[in-house]
Amino acid sequence: MTDVEQRIQCRWCHAQSPSSARTCDRCGAPLDVHDAVTDSGWRQAPRLRDLTEFHWAASTCQLDAGAVPVVEITLDAADSVFFEHHTMLWKDETVPMAVMNTPGGAKRLLSGMPFVLSVARGPGRVAFSRDAPGEIIVIPIEAPHEVDVREHALLLASATLSYSFEKLPGLRAMLVANTGMYLDRYVAQSAPGLLVLHGFGNVFERTLGEGETILVEPGGFLYKDATVTMELAQVNFKGSMAATSPPADEAAQAGATAAPAAEPAASSGRFGRGLKGLMGAKSMLNVGALASAAGSLRSGGGLQGVAASLAGGGGATLMRMKGPGRLGVQSMFMAHKSE
Amino acid sequence: MTDIATPESTYTCPYCKQASPGVSTSCPTCGAPVDIKLRTTASGWTELPSIADMARIQFGQSTCQVEGRLVPVAEMKLAAGDGVYFTHDVLLWQEPAAHVDALPLTKPWTRHRAGMPLVMLQASGPGRIAFSHDSPGELIALPLQRGAAVDVREHALLAATSGVNYDWVETGVWFVASEEQKEDTAGGVKLLKMGLELAGATSGDGRDRDRNDQPTWHYPVGQFIDRFHAGDQPGLVLVQASGNAYVRELAAGESLLVKPPALLFKDPTVGMQLHVEYPAAGVKLWRTWGNRYLWLRVFGPGRVGLQSCYDHLDDPGTDFRDLSPHTDHLWR
Repeated sequence: MTDVEQRIQCRWCHAQSPSSARTCDRCGAPLDVHDAVTDSGWRQAPRLRDLTEFHWAASTCQLDAGAVPVVEITLDAADSVFFEHHTMLWKDETVPMAVMNTPGGAKRLLSGMPFVLSVARGPGRVAFSRDAPGEIIVIPIEAPHEVDVREHALLLASATLSYSFEKLPGLRAMLVANTGMYLDRYVAQSAPGLLVLHGFGNVFERTLGEGETILVEPGGFLYKDATVTMELAQVNFKGSMAATSPPADEAAQAGATAAPAAEPAASSGRFGRGLKGLMGAKSMLNVGALASAAGSLRSGGGLQGVAASLAGGGGATLMRMKGPGRLGVQSMFMAHKSE
Repeated sequence: MTDIATPESTYTCPYCKQASPGVSTSCPTCGAPVDIKLRTTASGWTELPSIADMARIQFGQSTCQVEGRLVPVAEMKLAAGDGVYFTHDVLLWQEPAAHVDALPLTKPWTRHRAGMPLVMLQASGPGRIAFSHDSPGELIALPLQRGAAVDVREHALLAATSGVNYDWVETGVWFVASEEQKEDTAGGVKLLKMGLELAGATSGDGRDRDRNDQPTWHYPVGQFIDRFHAGDQPGLVLVQASGNAYVRELAAGESLLVKPPALLFKDPTVGMQLHVEYPAAGVKLWRTWGNRYLWLRVFGPGRVGLQSCYDHLDDPGTDFRDLSPHTDHLWR
């Protein structure tokens, strides 16, 4: 008679664990709670329990859950991880540090990306966190597979993953993100790897079917399978206000009121989402018009199309994601300040 | 929002006071969990409950599903004929099928000058669309019965159903104070000027300063407040509170002092006025900051909603040049 051990499969990373396990040993996801899935198919990222442990190679990760979660990794002597230096929270003095040469050189500096990535080698402990409320997303990657991640969302990646970055081409991409829009690409070529991300706010994942599309606000995008294609889509809104100077009668009316108009507030909200502040304003007013105008030129709309775009103004630049594959979004966005 | 009440309605939500069959785990009108009791402080503030993950709120033939706890997302499944409107900056994702268009607004220049959103959009079904703010907090559902209205602080709106009329009205709460204009000089030059002033080589008295002082207008609760008014159909307004949200019912004539930036929403029947409080102090400081507190006096009848995490109130501390109708008190 064969002794068959009962196993349970993690719904997040599909790894198998003993049926008695409460959390997945590979990604830390709770195994004894149901998935929270919205009617439209968005699944909440697993809420990792406080002090949950999971393993990669011979190293151990532990999570301090909370509003701003911390990931602590105990590195084996044979293991190493890379990361952007600003995510490091603390480390053992004995942990050797190195830098990883990254492709792109000065282009990375100009685009606000870190010039080099830092590498920590075992043995020893290092801890990572980002400076905003959010959730930790653990993505084990089997070889051969690749995952694309929005810039600066990385908390740590195992050194078994190869790293590159890509810039979305085109004027529209450059205008939306000012310096351009970059994607970090992590590839498990011959050995499995571990990717730990930090998403602002709450994180949701949806698996798009073959050819299925969805429009996502640029600030909301967090990660995707490489099979998911992404392109910027200009959405024009009929009748939106493009006026940036006061109509004469309205200006006169405003001037006649007892309480004069305030200076335009620098408060959040007006152009809060996505590439905050000025960039958001550009996206909705100037960029919408400029990108639309550029699109008109490119698509043969001629000067008339350009003029209509500039005059009509209003529009938004969203990202059209097309399956098949996984797509992750975050419910909050905060612009990263490069050092 | 539709009338959920049926002859079989057995549950009345303690928060929105609407009846429903009570068969789900949350109120279909406002999303409040059905298995919790009102949590009210001794002073009468009721903490608005967090809408449970995946709770559904019904409006018209459509539903709103709320997901996430840190920065909640409102995901709308819009039926044909139903719609919502929102400010463009809260859009998170949309299905290509959902039709999004601009909401016609009047007085764009006035809105721009007041720091209000210039672009508001409306989405109509069928299709799905989702919204979230860029700050942690609570999502608050304010169901409106026929003819009811609610005033909401600017920038707090997440979405409102298309049957709800939108307007924006002056808050009438403002003050004018002198404010020193920042000099656009390099740090080294500033340091040199300070050194010369200290050495008595240049005039360091208030005359130079007075020349730089310019009157600046301040609106502690914003120049305008958004007003949502349900017509002949019930409606739903979703707002985002920073931090936690609390509500209190004020009786007619009852007044309360609240921090101006903390105001989240109120019934239109609730009045607002500036109140200036001067604490007892032995000497008057060069600047009056620390010598006065700015409050918002709210007076009933009606509901007042507050948020526990709010922006800093900008008060330069200089003498008032003018201010809206107000009350004040000097402690001796």
